[in-house]
Amino acid sequence: MELDFSPVIESWRFLLGGLGLTLALSVMTMLCSLVLGGAVGLARCYGPAWLRWPLVFYIDSMRAIPVLVVLVWSYFALPIVTGFVLPPFWAALVALSAHIAAYVAEIVRAGIGSIRPGQSRAAFALGMSRVQTIRQIILPQALVRMLPAFGSILSVTIKDTAIAAVIAVPEYMNRSQTLAGESFRPIEVFMVAMVVYFVVLFPVTRGVDMVYARLAHLGRS
Amino acid sequence: MNLDWSVVWRNAGALVDGTELTVALAVLTMLIAVPGGIVLALMRLSGSRLLTGASASFVELFRNLPLILVIYTAYYVMPIAIGVAFSPFVTGLVALSLNVSAYNGETFRAGIGSIRKGQSEAAFALGMSRWQAMREVVLPQAARRVLPVLASTWVSLFKDTSLVSVIAVGELAYTAMRIRSQTFRVLEMLTAMAAIYWALGYPQAKLVDWLHRRLGVSE
Amino acid sequence: MSDGHRQPISAPPVLVYRGVRKLFGDFVALSDVSMEVRKEQVVCLIGPSGSGKSTLLRCTNGLELIDGGEIRLDGEALPRDWNGMRRVRQRMGMVFQNFELFPHKTVLGNVTAGPMTVLRMRRKDAEARAMALLDKVGLADKTHSYPAALSGGQQQRVAIARALAMEPTVMLFDEPTSALDPETIGEVLNVMKRLAEEGMTMIVVTHEMTFARRVADWVVVFERGTVIEQGPPEQIFDAPLVARTREFLSHLGWAG
Repeated sequence: MELDFSPVIESWRFLLGGLGLTLALSVMTMLCSLVLGGAVGLARCYGPAWLRWPLVFYIDSMRAIPVLVVLVWSYFALPIVTGFVLPPFWAALVALSAHIAAYVAEIVRAGIGSIRPGQSRAAFALGMSRVQTIRQIILPQALVRMLPAFGSILSVTIKDTAIAAVIAVPEYMNRSQTLAGESFRPIEVFMVAMVVYFVVLFPVTRGVDMVYARLAHLGRS
Repeated sequence: MNLDWSVVWRNAGALVDGTELTVALAVLTMLIAVPGGIVLALMRLSGSRLLTGASASFVELFRNLPLILVIYTAYYVMPIAIGVAFSPFVTGLVALSLNVSAYNGETFRAGIGSIRKGQSEAAFALGMSRWQAMREVVLPQAARRVLPVLASTWVSLFKDTSLVSVIAVGELAYTAMRIRSQTFRVLEMLTAMAAIYWALGYPQAKLVDWLHRRLGVSE
Repeated sequence: MSDGHRQPISAPPVLVYRGVRKLFGDFVALSDVSMEVRKEQVVCLIGPSGSGKSTLLRCTNGLELIDGGEIRLDGEALPRDWNGMRRVRQRMGMVFQNFELFPHKTVLGNVTAGPMTVLRMRRKDAEARAMALLDKVGLADKTHSYPAALSGGQQQRVAIARALAMEPTVMLFDEPTSALDPETIGEVLNVMKRLAEEGMTMIVVTHEMTFARRVADWVVVFERGTVIEQGPPEQIFDAPLVARTREFLSHLGWAG
């Protein structure tokens, strides 16, 4: 089996563009998911009772439906419903954010729930209001505890962007497929792809572990 | 927007077949990946630097690669590396098994590692060998801890089977999208696909929650 | 105990420690420890926390391997490899400070675990042996309970029965009562006392000075990994030769 990496090397700019899009999509998805998921998680914990049911339904539904299905539906079916076509990148952003926000909401809920009730009681005893307690006592501790889970969500997000290749988003996976088809050298192209993804993902998980190790004592009560 | 939902009922048979393949894929993968995970965990916990390194490398590799990439790579590499042309089903099965084994390896390692050292020491003090201590004392206790995580992994696996549709394995996602292409009933078929996954996945997710509650870690 | 039970000096020692040395990284846990344990003797190891008493016990049954010196059991040096120690461990029983009962097995299951798994005894025989031992420690009515349902003192007595089920020649006790409520300490010490009366060779790491004074035939005082004094209990407790021993005992409020 002779390997010929020249098609890959020659198209490095093409691939790099794909990688840039992968990272852009990942970061934007992460931001949207954090905002949306954070809101949903907080609403679940502190919101009115009637809101809980639809939120839980949303969260559990996203746990049940594969990412591929959400992506495909957002790109092909949503335009029919809304009459409004989203370009692939934005369809992917919407789909991935909606999907991952559900996981973020669960992490937020678990993080807040892990803080001992004694902490709130101590804060109330000092005369703090509910909002002050949540903002100054509960959330800071909970956020530290949520860090490792957020790290793994970031890792999952980057991996899920590769699935967006299926709806023609020209990120790295998609471009690798294109190149593999044109150059007839799929093995070389995908081997490089594996290295690229590994190099991107490995530091993410390790980095989060390290940050958490430094900050963990802040969340221990 | 004119919708024709009858396309779903007319193709119900094919959708059921697709669902069966999804389930078969998931079950077979777990049958391979659970023993696979145990082996990886025991390798990692063995004293041998070689085994530990091999296991850790395997786990790190597959946890840091998108599954869809693994599937594509398996599809192109396997025929050349092994010389035999496998069916897409087998290729998909291999990719899924490698991926899930890696996750299970971590799960079992954490589960086994969470058992207090004193428990194995008490077993050793009675004269048990490392393997006897593992079998009689550590693994039975670790199983309780590991079960909820394995259940979560199963739910993820069930969803991940949809990815092998990209190499034309006729599971549920592929079948639904094929019907969509043939009938041009995009919204109906894609919604039906989502609904079927939802109907299958929702109870599974609830079961996992129940398991987490029942077998919650208590020292 | 200390008067009726002393062995004549001519009886051969069961365990001999000569110049035993153990390191954990840079930390010297044991340095030049020498002592002897004779048949049917009760030897108590006392001393401040971290002085090496438990480490010596764990080196005796191979849970730790020594870095220097030697330990001889019935005249033969202990194997230096982990697997070789397995056979030796079958001749010694160990009771841990936090009991370490197997939570997923019943009381009966705990006591039969050793004989069935290691000695390959048949279930019926193992259970018969277990029942007799549980009866001896006063827990015959708890055979089908799980450890979580038992008090600390009860769990420790089960742990003693579990160790005895292997019919060891030496019993090692690592601070057996340190994790117990004061009310339950007595029931465990009574079992240990009876065991001593029946002639079991015992090495006991303990802070229970009254027990040591009354039951031990020989007391070894540790400090920072070395033996600072050893002798019969009358010497150690009533008329210690070394000032540090006196300081340690008075620290504990030992009034004699």
